[in-house]
Amino acid sequence: MPTASIFESFFATQGFALFEFRGDGEFRLIGTWPGWCGDMWGDLAAGKETIRLGEVSPFLENFLFDAEQFWNSKGSGSANSGNWTERDSSGREIPLEASAYLLDGTRLLIVRNLSETFDQQQELFQTARDSLLVYEKLLREIQKKEILLHCIVHDLTQPLSAMNSVFHLLEREHLPAQLKKYVKTGERESQRQELMIRGILEAFSSDLAAQNSAQEKTGDSPDLADCAQRAVREFSTAFRDHDVHLRFDPRVKKSNEWRVTGDAPRLDRIFGNLLENGMRYSPKGSTVTIGIEEDRGAVLAYVDDQGPGLPKDQPEAQLFALFSKGKSHSGKAGLGLYFCKITVERWGGAIGAETRAQGGSRFWFRLPRAERIAQSAGDPTPKKSRAREKHPEKQRPPKCLRILVADDADINRDLMVELLERRGHIAIGVSDGRQAVAELEKHDFDVLLIDEEMPNMTGLQATQAIRAREAGTPRHQIIVGISGHATEEDEHRFRDAGMDALLPKPVHMQKLYEVVESTSINAGTPARPHATQGRQDTPLAPAGDSRVEATSPSASAIPHLHRSTGGNEKLMRSLAGILLADAPKALARIGRAIAQNDAAELAAAAHLLKGSLAIFGVEKAVTAARALETMGKAANLREAPLEFRSLETEFELLRAELQPLLTKKTVSKNLRPGVKRKTKPRAKRRKR
Amino acid sequence: MIQKKICMLGSFSVGKTSLVRRFVASIFDDKYHTTIGVKVDKKIVSANGEEVMLVLWDIHGEDVYQKMRMSYLRGMSGFLLVADGTRRQTLDDALALNERVVQEFGKIPSILLLNKCDLTDQWEIDAAQESKLTGAGWNLFRTSAKTGDAVEKVFLQLAQATLGK
Repeated sequence: MPTASIFESFFATQGFALFEFRGDGEFRLIGTWPGWCGDMWGDLAAGKETIRLGEVSPFLENFLFDAEQFWNSKGSGSANSGNWTERDSSGREIPLEASAYLLDGTRLLIVRNLSETFDQQQELFQTARDSLLVYEKLLREIQKKEILLHCIVHDLTQPLSAMNSVFHLLEREHLPAQLKKYVKTGERESQRQELMIRGILEAFSSDLAAQNSAQEKTGDSPDLADCAQRAVREFSTAFRDHDVHLRFDPRVKKSNEWRVTGDAPRLDRIFGNLLENGMRYSPKGSTVTIGIEEDRGAVLAYVDDQGPGLPKDQPEAQLFALFSKGKSHSGKAGLGLYFCKITVERWGGAIGAETRAQGGSRFWFRLPRAERIAQSAGDPTPKKSRAREKHPEKQRPPKCLRILVADDADINRDLMVELLERRGHIAIGVSDGRQAVAELEKHDFDVLLIDEEMPNMTGLQATQAIRAREAGTPRHQIIVGISGHATEEDEHRFRDAGMDALLPKPVHMQKLYEVVESTSINAGTPARPHATQGRQDTPLAPAGDSRVEATSPSASAIPHLHRSTGGNEKLMRSLAGILLADAPKALARIGRAIAQNDAAELAAAAHLLKGSLAIFGVEKAVTAARALETMGKAANLREAPLEFRSLETEFELLRAELQPLLTKKTVSKNLRPGVKRKTKPRAKRRKR
Repeated sequence: MIQKKICMLGSFSVGKTSLVRRFVASIFDDKYHTTIGVKVDKKIVSANGEEVMLVLWDIHGEDVYQKMRMSYLRGMSGFLLVADGTRRQTLDDALALNERVVQEFGKIPSILLLNKCDLTDQWEIDAAQESKLTGAGWNLFRTSAKTGDAVEKVFLQLAQATLGK
């Protein structure tokens, strides 16, 4: 054993073991053989001039390649092994690190015991990775909740659509003036609630918000002064109840042009949110003023109140943040101003708030002027135009059209038929896609108006069937889809399915006429995207061999999932993966429950599966699962085997549709009807 | 005695260390202890009628904090590519890692493990995906370090594969 110098002893006590490399895998120990080395590798150095470290430590054996490379390079600095852990004779883990140095031609290897500092490092990494795991889990939870939210919102908007239709119908009856006023209020409030629901959806769904921000259209270029005055009219009663005076700033020049980028309903909501906010902080007897002014080529709207001004310790940006509430917590959920912010910014504008010098606060937003001004301020036509807008059903259409309306909701269908007939068209209603396809086989129609979600055959499935029938012929049935999902993404989805235009729900009379009539005017051209639609370059699906498969009515889950997830492909794949993994087990559980006549188990298993299937919008499968659940709850399993077979069949169809999702192909590819799928045509498989 | 270097590869927290602990010491700890660097363990197994010393290199999972050094894999005879079946992303990461390994070292005996198969209610990898992987030539197993499911089997099978090389 070499004699240890004081420095060598010092190194040993500090957890270092020093070796000189002698070549051919052999090392000479410098200084003392540390106790921890002995614990790991035994008394290796005893009575020996050289030792072979590679033989006791596979890690060091591996590192010697790098170390020798470093020594041979004659470079400066060092080569480091990175951390590794070995066990001592008692099984205790010893964290180590090795470094190679070249000092005056001597090839040094230093092995360091990191036990003293390792715990700290370990804790740091542990915390970081634990946090990453929590973050991943949270992200998954958020994604699941977003889907749930989409589903809930969808369900909430459906009754609203019906309510709007009822109000539409009532409004056209000969009612006493007072009743008409009530009806008008009901209609306005149901529309407002619908906007609020959509607003919540946008605010909560980051994916959708991001998508919208990239694709947002410029809207209908509303006049901001009109919106502001409308807001004053709508809110004056509420303000009066709070003993606050609301007024439109008399200094605003009404003759000016105040058309901006945006759309009127959302501008109404922005004004509404700002006014509610102003009212909340206004003392009794004070005045809130809403106004418009020119601002560096843009249009600035403001709501001034005479309240306490902005809280000094709350940054302006925080006021508009999600879930942010004022210090007094007198607001609601903290969504209103956030909605204003994301909407205004989406239109290329800005929003802010400040404490006014004369007291109170000013909430403002600035929007770019509309690029194209439909009518100049001095033009006499707007009045006429507005008058026409008021009673569009009294106008004569460009030509009388034969229109087939397919919607399973009686009230929606009847309303559309009535509105179209009042306009002078001939309209016939059917209640599902299958009936629509059958009707079109018997009679010619200029336009098919078809709801997206219907029993038996959905609007998309019917469209695909019609397009398949037209393949190779010059025929082209004008098809307008009706849907509560009317984002640009949905529009592409409808177009990809072969539709010519999309009519958003709830159906508004003016929009109904516009879409139906302008789409039919373009009839005769091979591809007839609606004139008001943004994308006109989307080709219709080409006719070809894949057409038969493309028309498979099973293609309903992916579009639904696409919509539910805001087009998040990764999430779609993940959900499809989860379902395809879990559903077979659930089916087996249901099968067992039926075989064992276990009603409670059947109800529980069917209930769970029903919830999973609902995410994919597979109505028949959900219906079957629901029926089984009901049977289980009623402890009447007589029909259960039959229903179970139906559920299994539906799941097989769904599996066939979802499986391509799990490949590396993009989902959008899977959404295109021209893409050949591995699924068998549904009609064929149904015969099994 | 023949020695074979076997590497455990995969993302962080997929259960590489737990699989080794289960195989070497029949121990499982539910608490997650992250690995820093490399842990080397040994176990003698009997494969194809002969005793083989498996030198198990449990290499830390890759993440933003730690990148794996390809030099750790030098001289390996086979590897277990581990993914966490309850975290779909770890399978993608594992497959990406495999591509890097194959590019650097060529084709080496390996087995793909979908670990944590005891957590079926949280499983994110479906049967279709597994079939696809099998179809692509992967020798794939669902394992659980917690229950010991298929753990012994995969190590032995890999040991045999390394001998046949």
